[in-house]
Amino acid sequence: MAKPADLAALGGQESTRRVRVLTGILAAGILAFLGLGLDGSGLLPKGDGASLVREFFVAALQPAWDYEPGGFLPADAPPFLLKVAKGLWGTLVYAIAAISLSFVFGLLLGVLASESFWATRGKAWGVVRWSIRILLTGMRSIHELLWALLLLAALGLSPAAAVLAIFIPYTGTLAKVFSEMLDESDPRPSYALSQIGASQSRVFLFARLPRTLPDIAAYTFYRFECAVRSSAVLGFFGFTTVGLYLKQSFENLHYHEVWTYLYSLILVVLVLEAWSAQLRRRFVV
Amino acid sequence: MLQISGWLALGLIALAWFFSDIDFSDLFSARRMDNLSRFAERALPDPLRESGEGGSLGAWVTNQMNLYGWRGMGATLGISVIAIVLAGGIGSILGAFGARNLMSAHPFVPHATAGHGACNHALDRVAQVVRILCILLRAIPEYIWAYLLLAMLGSSAWPAILALAIHNSGILGRLGGETIENLASEPLRAMSMAGATRKEIAIAGVFPMALGRYLLYFFYRFETCVREATVLGMLGMVSLGYYIFEARAHDQYDELIFLVILGGLLVMLADILSDLARRWLRRSV
Repeated sequence: MAKPADLAALGGQESTRRVRVLTGILAAGILAFLGLGLDGSGLLPKGDGASLVREFFVAALQPAWDYEPGGFLPADAPPFLLKVAKGLWGTLVYAIAAISLSFVFGLLLGVLASESFWATRGKAWGVVRWSIRILLTGMRSIHELLWALLLLAALGLSPAAAVLAIFIPYTGTLAKVFSEMLDESDPRPSYALSQIGASQSRVFLFARLPRTLPDIAAYTFYRFECAVRSSAVLGFFGFTTVGLYLKQSFENLHYHEVWTYLYSLILVVLVLEAWSAQLRRRFVV
Repeated sequence: MLQISGWLALGLIALAWFFSDIDFSDLFSARRMDNLSRFAERALPDPLRESGEGGSLGAWVTNQMNLYGWRGMGATLGISVIAIVLAGGIGSILGAFGARNLMSAHPFVPHATAGHGACNHALDRVAQVVRILCILLRAIPEYIWAYLLLAMLGSSAWPAILALAIHNSGILGRLGGETIENLASEPLRAMSMAGATRKEIAIAGVFPMALGRYLLYFFYRFETCVREATVLGMLGMVSLGYYIFEARAHDQYDELIFLVILGGLLVMLADILSDLARRWLRRSV
């Protein structure tokens, strides 16, 4: 059904507003461009860069199935494809561990950060809610790579540190989004239940929460996909994920190997995309 | 499907926690606690350590800001703005070409495709290809794009900008496509029946109606860009991340923490800006 807002969007009044917004955004872009002192020359590969570009993109057509010659290879090195699989698995493991933990804590904190949970419990509890929101903002404002850097400096290289580095900001984001979903969900089931006399906690637990679960699940899945990417990048800092192997291959100039790692990462994302599409079809959210 | 997914998910979670090298108890081993105490020692700002009074803290903070803080924040913000403006433009084009209701022989008129078989098929193919392109663009993490581009283009702000722009083009392309597919179809169908060409419908109908929603996504991604831009500096171009990385390399944990917190504040600022922009938009959508 076309809402008044949609039809209004087609009108003349809105068009001046649109022009203003778009001009503003464009102006911001130009300002930033000038402010940074950029020019187009940075877009062209220089000297060595040009041949690197060519070599690199040509290698895209022939990803490696085996180690490339040149460079140090320990005697007991596993077959290349096995190493790729190992890298992928390491990436997935950190992501799965982090997201599973994030989901639990995110749900808990999300409930505590939502308005609908505290609705009739008295103003004093507002302090709890606000302190949790501040905590969550702090957790998610710092990028997982920065958490990783801090944890590396404080505790050294460790798989648990990688999981923690992803866990902290992701819990913050999940909790914030969950709390918004809970607050914005359809109020009718909650209303109906409270009309027949159910207590506030029961209303929340049996009407509001279940109603929001499909959205919560869908968002968690999306975040899991993001976690896989974050986990891959953590490899650049030394953790044993795809990123580490990719960086090593790149530094050895083994571009074919690099493309194998890139393709394998793309493959994982495609599989997750397909899985999520299948689930969405079942849910019809 | 749901049940299989559920069991699969639980199985993977169990594997990740119990059959990998993730060991949280290792975090508390003697070696790591040693590390932690060394970290905590250095984490206290220099002046505090030496003189033991709080007055010199103000001077230290100002000095830090003058050396790294302002430049870092400015560069980070600039990079994010340019990147998101680019991504916004490219994303809108990708979104339009990936929207199935627009990319059909009779746009927005679902059942009138008789006799337009070949044309319809071709358009549908284009939409499919564009959608897959969007997935590919976003499958590679920004950090990896930046790493590769840095090697190709040399040190400037462009690798970071392009990395962010490429990744977010994929995301905004997908979100834009979904926005268009979820538009109210009556006004657009009316235009189509009245004989408007696809281009006319796109410019005069789809664009005004979809812009509001698209801008919501645009500002959401802006906030994410600021987070990422902070971190991309660790690869070597000027942004907060660069200084953070340097601080860690020199074991200056006090500066490290200061700059990380600064980065967090910048993200929170972007979060607030983005929230305000979205709230303003919602009033009119």
